[in-house]
Amino acid sequence: MSHSLLLPILQWATLILVGLVGGLVLVGVIMQFRKDRRNRHRIACYQAWEGQLTDYLFKRGCEQGGFGTIGWSNRWLFRDFLARYQSSIGGQESELLRELYLSTGIHTSLPQRLQDRNPKVRAQAAKEIAVFRLDEPAEHAPPPIAERPWRWKPGVRMEGYLDQVLPLLNDPVPFVAHTAALTLTHSQNLKFASPVLAWLMREELYQRERLLRVLEGFGPNLLPWMKENLESPNQNPEPWILFALLVGSHRHRESQPRLLWLLDIPNVDLRASVLKALIILADPTVYQKVRSFAASPTWEIRTQVARALGVLGGPSAVPDLLPLMADPVYEVRRNAAQSLVDLGHSGVSALAWLAEDPAADRFARDIARERLEWADERGHL
Amino acid sequence: MTRRWPAHTTVLVVEDDTATAKIIQVRLEMEGLKVLVATNGMEALEILHHEGVDLVTTDLMMPAMNGFRLVQEVRDLPPPKGHIPILLISTNHSEQDMVRCLAAGADDYMAKPISVQVLVERLWRLFERSHRVG
Repeated sequence: MSHSLLLPILQWATLILVGLVGGLVLVGVIMQFRKDRRNRHRIACYQAWEGQLTDYLFKRGCEQGGFGTIGWSNRWLFRDFLARYQSSIGGQESELLRELYLSTGIHTSLPQRLQDRNPKVRAQAAKEIAVFRLDEPAEHAPPPIAERPWRWKPGVRMEGYLDQVLPLLNDPVPFVAHTAALTLTHSQNLKFASPVLAWLMREELYQRERLLRVLEGFGPNLLPWMKENLESPNQNPEPWILFALLVGSHRHRESQPRLLWLLDIPNVDLRASVLKALIILADPTVYQKVRSFAASPTWEIRTQVARALGVLGGPSAVPDLLPLMADPVYEVRRNAAQSLVDLGHSGVSALAWLAEDPAADRFARDIARERLEWADERGHL
Repeated sequence: MTRRWPAHTTVLVVEDDTATAKIIQVRLEMEGLKVLVATNGMEALEILHHEGVDLVTTDLMMPAMNGFRLVQEVRDLPPPKGHIPILLISTNHSEQDMVRCLAAGADDYMAKPISVQVLVERLWRLFERSHRVG
């Protein structure tokens, strides 16, 4: 190729390159400008609404025009603004926030948003249903949004939102399914107990105690429902483990007879969970029953028994705790020693005696010394 | 029951969520209280060193210095600042957290979502009790 051709090609290539770079820079500048403008607009709106909101919450309430007017184009921004208070403000103020949310009419878009392609949008929609209790009837305040699309109708029926959340339990994105489960339990409607329980049982075993919080949302009424509807613990003990843990978290004394019945089911995890619940209920009348498991061949059971005996038996449990101090498993010995520390004078005396007795089992002596030091450091002695 | 806050009673609100802090601030100002706001424990300590504060309400989870640490730091201050009544607010409802809050030296505990009316009432009780004891 001759030099006479090469030079113009290079010139054109340079020009095109400069043009491309310039174009990209321009697009970047425009995008940044728009982003800045949106942010400035958001900040300005939030600042104005913050003032209006405190007036609305503490002075005017939901009377006509209580909050002021919101432009139709700002409705999503306003939804995000209200969402900031979802998890922090409760009581009477949250009622007023609910009225405000409903009066914007944003909830009418929930059916579409629950099926949105973006998982964050689906989860947010499910969360809104729980936070603003869209399953409950509401008297609408006059809408503060200036313009309305033709399809918006005031006084829209508030039923059926929870049924639309139900399919999200099968959502491939875990946090969406989790949010859906929280929404359904938050309603305390036991018609959703079965699908939520089924969702929970599909989750990994190690997640169980974390997910217990979700089930707690149903409240203690879930326990009689579980007694009625769960299949036999001999066939499927897994849901009964949750039952036992829930009895503990709700401190549901009425379920204690069922716990004692479950204790006879030969399943290690189930027995350990039942013992945990019995520790929380702390009823001394079950002491003898619990004591019969002190010689269990399973260390997980003995570990729980070592805690339970101290809680249920008080100072009279010392003779039963001492053999557990020589258990071959460290966790059992530690729990037995901790139970003795918690018993106060009688337990600590027994520990001190063990720690100094050269004839005592070496394991028992070591753990007694360790726990005494631990308690001393924390000023428990 | 009517609350009669003495003039110039000052409350320090420690909350990293400015939206919530604003709501609490406005409500407390309506009670006639002077309200100072800090967004984390470090800022709160700074304010406590320079201002006279009668009550503290603090969030648990905050950047830089959390509520537990703040309570411990305040309790290490010489009296009377070390004895300021503190109300801890947490997002966690667990019994363990509640016990930890109180063991750290907090005088009371509330779990989010909080009712601002209840918060005011509890602050009043703390204030009343601390003045009776004092």
